[in-house]
Amino acid sequence: MSETLTAPPRGTPVAGVPGDRQPERTASAPRQAAFVPSALLAILQGSIVWIVLLALWFIAAKYFPLGDNPLIPSPQRTALALQESLPELWEGTLSSLSILIPGLLLATLLGIVSGIYVGSSPLLQRIFFPFARVAAPVPPTVYVPYAIAVLPTFKLSAIFVVFIGAFWPIFQNTAAGAHALESRYRDNARILGLNSHEFHWKVVFPAALPHIFSGMAVGLGFAFILLTVAELFGANAGLGRFVQYYADFADYPKMVAGILYTGVVTYLAMSGLEAIKRRALFWHR
Amino acid sequence: MAAELRLEGVDFSYEDATPILEKIDLTVPAGQFVCLLGSSGSGKSTLLRLLAGLQFPRHGRLSWNGQPITGPSLDRGVVFQDYALFPWMSVVDNIAIAIGKAQPKARKAERREQAEACLVKVGLENAIGQYPFELSGGMRQRAAIARALALRSPVLLMDEPFGALDPTNRARLQDLLLEIWETEVPRKTIVFVTHDIDEALYLGDRIVVLGSTPGRLIADLPVGFPRHRERRALFDSAEFHALRESIAETLAADTLRQLVAA
Ligand SMILES: Nc1ncnc2c1ncn2[C@@H]1O[C@H](COP(=O)(O)OP(=O)(O)OP(=O)(O)O)[C@@H](O)[C@H]1O
Ligand SMILES: [Mg+2]
Repeated sequence: MSETLTAPPRGTPVAGVPGDRQPERTASAPRQAAFVPSALLAILQGSIVWIVLLALWFIAAKYFPLGDNPLIPSPQRTALALQESLPELWEGTLSSLSILIPGLLLATLLGIVSGIYVGSSPLLQRIFFPFARVAAPVPPTVYVPYAIAVLPTFKLSAIFVVFIGAFWPIFQNTAAGAHALESRYRDNARILGLNSHEFHWKVVFPAALPHIFSGMAVGLGFAFILLTVAELFGANAGLGRFVQYYADFADYPKMVAGILYTGVVTYLAMSGLEAIKRRALFWHR
Repeated sequence: MAAELRLEGVDFSYEDATPILEKIDLTVPAGQFVCLLGSSGSGKSTLLRLLAGLQFPRHGRLSWNGQPITGPSLDRGVVFQDYALFPWMSVVDNIAIAIGKAQPKARKAERREQAEACLVKVGLENAIGQYPFELSGGMRQRAAIARALALRSPVLLMDEPFGALDPTNRARLQDLLLEIWETEVPRKTIVFVTHDIDEALYLGDRIVVLGSTPGRLIADLPVGFPRHRERRALFDSAEFHALRESIAETLAADTLRQLVAA
């Protein structure tokens, strides 16, 4: 993180203020020179588990064949199944995203707004925290059957469940971030005479952003879990549904392909969030 | 209605009720530059927070121009040692938000223009779009001063604003502050907390010393050196040395008394 912060010098060097030095930027240059071999090494180290797992997979598929329909399909067969299923998986992705995105957006919006206001008000904390302390730790998966039974469509119930799963971590982290506002920023806001709206959205919100992003990362993880769990129950499309469907037909190559594909989608979503976070928090040391 | 900053019989303690400030009586006429000295923990920052309206006394009264201080006000700008700026706003936005509060009618473009003018005034014309993390300590304090100026407050409360700077930058910012203060009409009323006796003597019209446990006024000295002070000549003068010695002795005696009490 510090690399990205110190590397690109903004604007021109300050000529008008001799003696006022910019923070040391040159220090990162020699480190970048030493960066190349260590980056290679890091990639190598990061690949070890992948390579070992892949090798184990090849070996397992070769030496533990279980007749015509192996529980462990070979990597080649899985790759073939993946290629074959790509159109179906893509459709499943769209279907899953049409649940995930509304649920996640709603959870993010409500989680942040309520977290900012509750976290910065002792009164609201006394009102809402006793409830949140009981409601938040309930494993959101337990709501799945009920939501499906009560809400009119499967889609609505799935969106609701995704929302519940993502909401609590986002709310709790945002409230914690707002609560932990450094007193110097609070003093600053008071000295400038900021009104309530400015205080919450120009001071508390940006100050809480590091917490908010942690909450969103947890929330995103929960959202995927709940999405796939909900799809196991009653969907007719989607990623979780894809895996369940081919498991029911004992088509293990396609099932494993679906698992791998879902893993990639989750990873991409997490990386996307990480990229947004790095952009939004560029000012954070 | 006197144009002055006034403390009458001010007692202060935090929640734990240990007395921090005791019976502080102090009147600062408008336009005066007062330096507040005192050993660490004597309550200088606390006194400044009371003046800022961030904290309230147990007993006694604080007022500005006869109006009781009931909370922070744009009348009283504050510069702290290192926390004047919001790190998530660019330097110019940090100043512009202050201008927006001081002049709610100013348009966005106007605010920005004025903010840039404030930054030029403190020699930060090349750092306008930068973020606080990109600035050196000296530049950050310049920006903090620019923000306090942007509020156009008649009173400036400064808590060791140059405490973290190297001597060169420190001297430069002292000169900048004096230049701004001396050219403004009417002059701002400044309460400036410092640990540095030389700094207090170079800047102040008057030096007030706070004794410790609990904080009370133990010395109040006029500093009569004529304005547009010449640093070198002043530091070499006999009057300067005499005043410096006497203040150092006062501070040392307070420290000794504290040690004996402990
Ligand atoms: N929030 C607080 N709660 C309780 N006690 C506090 C608090 N802030 C400061 N104090 C106590 O008040 C006393 C005065 O503190 P203050 O910060 O005003 O001193 P100071 O003169 O500014 O010291 P320094 O020169 O080190 O900045 C100290 O004994 C300190 O421990
Ligand atoms: Mg202090």
